[in-house]
Amino acid sequence: MAYGYTLLCAVALALTFGLERVLRTGVFRSRVYWVAMAIVAFFQVLVDGWLTCRPIVTYAEEQFSSVRFGCPDWAVFTAGGMPLEDVAFGFAMVTQALMWWVWWGRRLAAAPDRGR
Amino acid sequence: MGPYEYLALLAACLLITAPLEIVLGVRVYRQARRLGLTLLCTGVVFVAWDLLGAVLGHWDYHPQRISGIHILGLPLEEYLFFLVVPICAILAFEAVRTTIDDVGAWLRRRVGRR
Repeated sequence: MAYGYTLLCAVALALTFGLERVLRTGVFRSRVYWVAMAIVAFFQVLVDGWLTCRPIVTYAEEQFSSVRFGCPDWAVFTAGGMPLEDVAFGFAMVTQALMWWVWWGRRLAAAPDRGR
Repeated sequence: MGPYEYLALLAACLLITAPLEIVLGVRVYRQARRLGLTLLCTGVVFVAWDLLGAVLGHWDYHPQRISGIHILGLPLEEYLFFLVVPICAILAFEAVRTTIDDVGAWLRRRVGRR
């Protein structure tokens, strides 16, 4: 199916916001979260840029929007760069990780005898 | 770099963020139980997605730039990716939490002086 990656990214974003409704961590209202996400986004451009420009990971053109961020004009880079969808993938993964981190922090703090 | 290129990239991510734990003193690695449970909860979903994406042909890996070790058809590096990236993000999150008040106060002083 064409646009398969695009579709799964939409599902992942919906699941991420759905997970917050269940875990109620409040990350989206926290300044710490948004500042951290800005820092993470900067490093995502570097790391994902390297993965997709070299390339180490290659993408099937028909499976995503074909919108790419492009690469510096260096001889070591031979591919097209980060797909737009990777932004959603990264956002979903990092946000879910931070939500679970906050949630487990509260949960384990509520039962301190079990140790951290 | 050859077959270690992807592994080296992941190692660089851990090296660059390590000072946050060691120098700044955030407690991420030192809350091993909390970190392990977090990585498990996040990892299950995203490894499943990665397997699905590979099966459906959404993406592939450059055979000369990965170790060649595969688990369930996915390169070892992909599993490590789902450990390394969340760890780095959590370290950044805790580092921001630790420093945001000091940085905010410093910025306000700078602005106030003008």
